[in-house]
Amino acid sequence: MAAVQVSEAEKVYIMHGVRDDLRLDGRGCEDYRHMEIETDVVSNTDGSAKISLGHTDVLVGVKAEIGKPRAMVPDEGYLEFFVDCSANATPEFEGRGGEELGVELSNTLYKVFNNRHSVDLRSLCICPGENCWVLYVDVLLLQCDGNLFDAISIAIKAALFNTRIPKVHISEDEEGVKEIELSDDPYDCMRLNVENVPCIVTLCKVGHRHVVDATLQEKACSVASLLISVTHRGTVTCVRKMGGGSLDPESIFEMTEAGKRVGKALHAPLMELLQKEESLGKKRQKVGFLG
Amino acid sequence: MSPMKLCVPGERLCSTEDCIPGNGTYLRHGSIFASLAGYVLRKNEGEELPVISVVRETEAQLLPDVGAIVTCKVTSINPRFAKVHILYVGSTPLKDRFRGTIRREDVRATEKDKVETYKSFRPGDIVLAKVISLGDVQSNYLLTTAENELGVVVAHSEAGAQMVPISWCEMQCPRTHAKEFRKVARVQPEYLQA
Amino acid sequence: MAGLELLSDQGYRLDGRKATELRKVQARTSVFAQADGSAYLEQGNTKALAVVYGPHETRGSRSKSLHDRAVINCQFSMATFSTAERKRRPHGDRKSSEMSLHLKQTFEAAVLTELYPRSQIDIYVKILQADGGNYSACVNAATLALVDAGIPMRDYVCACTAGFVEDTPLADLCHAEESGGGTSLALALLPRSGNIALLQMDARLHQDHLDALIEAAMTACKGLSKVLDDVVRQHLEEVSVLTRD
Repeated sequence: MAAVQVSEAEKVYIMHGVRDDLRLDGRGCEDYRHMEIETDVVSNTDGSAKISLGHTDVLVGVKAEIGKPRAMVPDEGYLEFFVDCSANATPEFEGRGGEELGVELSNTLYKVFNNRHSVDLRSLCICPGENCWVLYVDVLLLQCDGNLFDAISIAIKAALFNTRIPKVHISEDEEGVKEIELSDDPYDCMRLNVENVPCIVTLCKVGHRHVVDATLQEKACSVASLLISVTHRGTVTCVRKMGGGSLDPESIFEMTEAGKRVGKALHAPLMELLQKEESLGKKRQKVGFLG
Repeated sequence: MSPMKLCVPGERLCSTEDCIPGNGTYLRHGSIFASLAGYVLRKNEGEELPVISVVRETEAQLLPDVGAIVTCKVTSINPRFAKVHILYVGSTPLKDRFRGTIRREDVRATEKDKVETYKSFRPGDIVLAKVISLGDVQSNYLLTTAENELGVVVAHSEAGAQMVPISWCEMQCPRTHAKEFRKVARVQPEYLQA
Repeated sequence: MAGLELLSDQGYRLDGRKATELRKVQARTSVFAQADGSAYLEQGNTKALAVVYGPHETRGSRSKSLHDRAVINCQFSMATFSTAERKRRPHGDRKSSEMSLHLKQTFEAAVLTELYPRSQIDIYVKILQADGGNYSACVNAATLALVDAGIPMRDYVCACTAGFVEDTPLADLCHAEESGGGTSLALALLPRSGNIALLQMDARLHQDHLDALIEAAMTACKGLSKVLDDVVRQHLEEVSVLTRD
């Protein structure tokens, strides 16, 4: 991640503040920064969402294409992730500089999202064993100020909610060759059920306490962080420890509990916001980057 | 103050007979044009023509220029020179670090050949230096500390404590009382407590 | 695409515009706080984002720096979801490298690089949605970003595309018109002085029509420069109101 240089004095200041539950911008240890979400920003895609979490900006686009299902699970579709760390975020990502981070991010996303418990992959099947929908989820990182995983996961959830997959009619002609017809009506489409899609919560250990939604400066003071993906029911689906430091089991347990609490509290307002945005329908003014 | 006029790049401000071009402007065909988007400022400097310049709210990135006093941090030393990262130009912090070199013969004004870089700087020291050259293709910015007011300002001892300067070539650690060699910058008299 | 005419008998194009009408342009500067300068521009359905970093020390090998000028480094990339068919690689393919080179050439003509010897200015442009006129949208967005970053320039750089159908020049082509196989000219202009920074044309054209085509493109660019000017002035006023006592 684009690193920021923090001096010794600044580190001590941040750690003392966190100890007293007061961070650099006045937040508590478990508060998120100001978040802005908007869906349907790019019209070439089947679904898109833009999120800005403080100074972190992420744009997600979902395109649905017809492909062959995987041999092991012939009656399910699948998701393909691609994270593009663009040079917009920091000049170090120019050319192939952002590939390493991009690969790390997309591998984690595969683990968290590409399974039947998160997304109903069966609904993506058209013809078992022959055709299925493949959702290409492209994540574009525009600005990087810490906490990439959280922002990306919320954006993916919003984009999947916004995705409209055209309905398919399968017709068989005399020789038994199947013909797939996509319906021409743009409103005749299938929506995905994103109830069970989890959200990722990253907790960084700063001193003896943990903080949620760490900025780059706070990240520079922490030695290890824990990544937890939580569903709306509070179920933990994936846990990963990142960073070079070591954590003792007690703190991992504490952080998991805190992560569950915070993650569960994320889902309800998010779904409410998405439903509200959807209900505005055509009247909604698309702002995108112009606002 | 009268409301200042807005200008955009490429806008013609006045002719060369009325003003002297200042910051943020350029000359073309006998007229002065603006090169930045901001406010036009006309300053009268005595009997000569007024200087016209364009000012912006936020300062654009400053580059180290020849003769500027810069604050830098030593990154590595070897018997011939010390490599530094330039952090501040004057009192303006730089957004991105520039690389500089202090050659062995530029550390002191006297006894240049007897200088040992190990006894003048150590990695991690904060040094005040002056830019003597922008460097050529191979080298970085060339800096010098060959003045009394230039040299090491902040240094940490091997024990980790910040050291106190005791002479122009020595600093002492307050914890272990061990003395270490550095090329120390003379403290300006106004900063010394009477 | 049988039956789709680029220019109907009444003089209307595919999207209902007249021959010399430009698409709607909306723009905003200072979109990102962390970059030195940034801008977002929409030209019809084409959306471009430009970010400027610099001037700073030459990244990578020091030998790339010039002793008397700044080096301008451009990277053009398209988001994978920007085109109708998903693009596999955002950048690094031949077309992106060619565009990056064109952008570099365009801005070297406009930026006063002599003021920053031995340094580098980075311009990164990203297309979020591609609907024809990619190069023009990039140039316009990058101009706004450079002005936002406070990098001295001789003039704005405005770019526009133009095409030629049945003896009528068309200004500001959309994707369908560009890929229709007719003539397409891309022009980058410094509006106040009237100097051309970049001129590129594909497909065959009779030399008698060349003048008319360039004229049409230049008029379109001048119109665009007014829009960009408005955006910059509005932003300056907004900022000054906030910082004034």
